[in-house]
Amino acid sequence: MKLKINGHSVEVTSDPDTPLLWVIRDELGMTGTKFGCGLAQCGACSVMLDGKVARSCVTPLSSVGAAEVTTIEAVEADPVGQRVVEKWIAHQVPQCGYCQSGQVVAATALLKENPKPSRDDIAAAMVNLCRCGTYNRISDAMLDLAGLGTAKDGETL
Amino acid sequence: MKKVLTTFIAAIIVVAGALAWYVTRKPASPFDTVAAASAPSADLIAEGKYVARTADCVACHSVPGGQPFAGGLKMGTPLGDIYTTNITPDPKDGIGAYTLADFDRAIRQGVAKDGHRLYPAMPYPSYSKMSDADIRALYAYFMHDVKPQAVANTPSAIPSPMNMRWPIALWNAAFAPSRPYSNVKAHDAEWNRGAYLVQGPGHCGSCHTPRGAAFNEKGMTQNSKLYLSGALLDGWYAPSLRSDPNTGLGRWTEADIYAFLKNGRNGHGVVFGSMLEAYNNSTQFLSDADLHAIAHYLKSLPGDPARDGAPFAYSDATMAQLTPAQRMSVPGAQIFAAKCSFCHKLDGKGQDPWIPPLAGATSSLVPDAASQINVVLNGSGRVMANGMPDSYRMPPYRAQLSDKEVAEVLTFVRKAWGNHGGPVDAKGVAALRARTDPASPQVIVLQMR
Repeated sequence: MKLKINGHSVEVTSDPDTPLLWVIRDELGMTGTKFGCGLAQCGACSVMLDGKVARSCVTPLSSVGAAEVTTIEAVEADPVGQRVVEKWIAHQVPQCGYCQSGQVVAATALLKENPKPSRDDIAAAMVNLCRCGTYNRISDAMLDLAGLGTAKDGETL
Repeated sequence: MKKVLTTFIAAIIVVAGALAWYVTRKPASPFDTVAAASAPSADLIAEGKYVARTADCVACHSVPGGQPFAGGLKMGTPLGDIYTTNITPDPKDGIGAYTLADFDRAIRQGVAKDGHRLYPAMPYPSYSKMSDADIRALYAYFMHDVKPQAVANTPSAIPSPMNMRWPIALWNAAFAPSRPYSNVKAHDAEWNRGAYLVQGPGHCGSCHTPRGAAFNEKGMTQNSKLYLSGALLDGWYAPSLRSDPNTGLGRWTEADIYAFLKNGRNGHGVVFGSMLEAYNNSTQFLSDADLHAIAHYLKSLPGDPARDGAPFAYSDATMAQLTPAQRMSVPGAQIFAAKCSFCHKLDGKGQDPWIPPLAGATSSLVPDAASQINVVLNGSGRVMANGMPDSYRMPPYRAQLSDKEVAEVLTFVRKAWGNHGGPVDAKGVAALRARTDPASPQVIVLQMR
């Protein structure tokens, strides 16, 4: 079947029930999107489907249909994604980095939907897990991106 | 006076004698004078193997990691735990010494070779409807294709005097009519084949029919309005299989039912709870013709609007509560968005057929929320289709969510998108959490089924 991904249309041959994550990583060889839990719980596999965040480990290929898939590889082609990456660097968010492609995708999807999110909006949307505990830095970067200043000392949303 | 007393005592002795004979007798079997073939044909054995699939013998007569049919599965009863038995042809521990007639009595009448009555955890009230031909084939399979296993039976833990078996004969007389299925002339062959499979070997009513005070199924055929109308068992609510639009199969087509039994999933739902075992061990192995027959029969069972309520209609009013701005203030909405929506989707429609919908799902509409609480706490097992585990599985939230959080998210789900199953309270979650915790002393083990 045809898959629209990162501005290209590609032909993929995986079975319809294959999780999109494995199509992206194994069939298409793009390994920026990570496998974390396989159960939609951690968010490491986050991608965008038509600009909305989706967890590719629980998205069967057959569910994608005509939606445009955006992975971390193309996130900087989007002006919003580019800003997110800049702020992620400015605030030195990543530690080990494993969850960060998912975090950046989640942040980009939120800001594309709502350029001026409130603290509650950010807390509601940024639910990906990070084993290094970079949540303080994620909060800093998100508040900066939302134009809400910086987090109070030690504050996480 | 003395004569009257003598007559009275004599009458009591006669009645007691008759009763004693009745409750301990070995009932007749049509195979009493028939010897089974010592070398049955490969066809007969294959036929018997198929019958064993339709009856799902292996589900109860095995334990995880054990040999098939060697028994040992613990079942809780109100009187104490009992264990399924070894039904491999081992001469000492199994049924190797059973003649065809003995085997028939056990399956269709609930009487063991030595004459003791089986507990009706063995679904012989349903199996009594099986045909002579199926019993003969099943016997050939068990005796000639199942490997004998020297695995001793575990004695039941029901204390004396409740462990006496003879009263079961009286229960049988009241609740277990022992008569093979006979075709209903008003219906065609496909309907009758479906009725035979559902009522007989498939023993669907064991879970899906409500039970009475004596643990009897409140209906064994379509003649009862309560037959297959839904029941709670083992901490799972087995929904109605009648044409109830909310709580049953009213919105399902025959093709939907076929797909559910063949593939374990369709656009309405995915097998979970006890049905997962029935799918993994039994229904997927049935022939297409038999599955279509089952679907055809089930769709002939009328629903009951008085019980089922107003039919489900999808509503997208819920979507306003699920925006990031709103969901922090609606109880359960943020948990749904963060934990559930990536699979079941924000619109509650799931990902047909791989991930089931919550909008309009039977489990979101039945008043008894046990199945939803259970699956949220404990997750679902692997659906094994064609020997392959599926990729999508409900994770257990036992450690992640408190009783209050489970109650909130389920209450949200059960009134979202037009659902009207009713709220869930934290106490109900706490009770099921305790009863489904393997470390608990009051854990649910398989109940009578």
